[in-house]
Amino acid sequence: MGFLDALLGGRGKRVKGAAPDRLFAMTTAQVTLDTGLGLKHKSAAGIVFQPLETADFDGIVKETEELLRAGAEDTGTAVESSADEYGYRWLIFRDPDFEDLVVALNTISTQLQESGYGDRLLAAVFPFEDKGQTVYFIYNFKRGAYYPFIPAPGEQARDSERELRLKAQVGAELPFEEDITRWFPLWEIPL
Amino acid sequence: MATRQTRAIFPRDTGLQVRMLLTLFLLGLLYVALIGALLAAGTGLVLMVVIIGALSLGQLFFSDKLALSAMGAKEVSPAEAPGLHAMIERLCIQADLPKPRIAVADTHVPNAFACGRSQKSATVCATTGIMNVLSPSELEGVMAHELTHVKNRDVLIMTIASFFASLASIILQFGFFFGGGDDDDNPSILVVLLVSFVVYIVSFFLMLALSRYREFAADRGAAIITGRPSALSSALVKISGAMERVPTQDLRQAERLNAFFIVPTSVKGAVQTLFATHPPMEKRIARLQQLETQLQAAA
Repeated sequence: MGFLDALLGGRGKRVKGAAPDRLFAMTTAQVTLDTGLGLKHKSAAGIVFQPLETADFDGIVKETEELLRAGAEDTGTAVESSADEYGYRWLIFRDPDFEDLVVALNTISTQLQESGYGDRLLAAVFPFEDKGQTVYFIYNFKRGAYYPFIPAPGEQARDSERELRLKAQVGAELPFEEDITRWFPLWEIPL
Repeated sequence: MATRQTRAIFPRDTGLQVRMLLTLFLLGLLYVALIGALLAAGTGLVLMVVIIGALSLGQLFFSDKLALSAMGAKEVSPAEAPGLHAMIERLCIQADLPKPRIAVADTHVPNAFACGRSQKSATVCATTGIMNVLSPSELEGVMAHELTHVKNRDVLIMTIASFFASLASIILQFGFFFGGGDDDDNPSILVVLLVSFVVYIVSFFLMLALSRYREFAADRGAAIITGRPSALSSALVKISGAMERVPTQDLRQAERLNAFFIVPTSVKGAVQTLFATHPPMEKRIARLQQLETQLQAAA
């Protein structure tokens, strides 16, 4: 946010849409995570956004969902939709083929971005399994960057040590969020 | 459909920005006049400018702690208020802001405010009253409003804007204190006093106007962050209704913090509009309604 924006109380400028290739960076990083660190993807990925209570927005989401469901016959990607207690909508994709998951996430995110709703997108979430524990990689659309999120046992606890270690391990493979104050948790991820 | 161009759901509010810019311009003009008068009057006043500058800086650094302790607000950890933390974390992702400190004040007055000089040192505070009165989506609207204050650096801007106003007011007090007597031979002191008087009066109203414009901007920002202008509207209605029923003792306690409250606690008063730090409820709701209309019309 520039000086003039601050002076004028925000000019309602669009947050710049993240480049799609940044989302796709997960496709290659996943291989490293798998072979190098033994993190297995859970054959699922999700996208979370703020639904707008408008006909246009509803229409676009429904249309894209149908598009993805129709495509599921070729790719085998299953689509689920759910709402969480914070009023956000989740679209969950299930497919053993990791690339198909990233493509599906990209389809819905570009569809929303092209329709002018890009700033409704909160995050894309990739769950991995590591010795029975779930490790999430969260992609923040506003910042076009990834960060790890590992919930620990206990209410709203996270394993920061392992998260930081993961950054050291795969930081070079992904557009990583450098500012750890932006490593916002997402509690109760339905994945 | 894929060829559709990226478009803004909420077009810019140019009118609001023009008014804000005009207010800032007038304030600047006023302050230049004051500086001119001070320079003309001689060097003794320069020292005063430095002292008041230091005071303002101090205010900027400590006002958040003062505000919080005046409200009896306590910072809460994620474990103490998990819901509030999680809600604000998501709003921060949406608004692209670092997470502020979160505080809760234990009072029935339904209110919320933001303080802190920068985005990194910001604190947002909600009262237990507001958390009880509002539904989650309404509370989300209110917190997004406060986060927009943080994002727009309203505390910093209002402090800077009020710097010369407080300078003028101090010169006035100073002048009246030492007034008359020996100063009569020096007409420039009289000029400084006169200019300070005008600066003080005019800047007072300009700053109130600026504060109201920034409230509109924060409402607008909240609508953009949450995508639910109507949730904030209904929160404003609920708060304003509930405000009239709360005990006056709490109201008085809260008085000092009016500037960054979501609804000023002094509800009565006819000349309110000119003297108010916040725009009238109906106007805020009308603007939010307008945003909701724009949102619904997007197709």
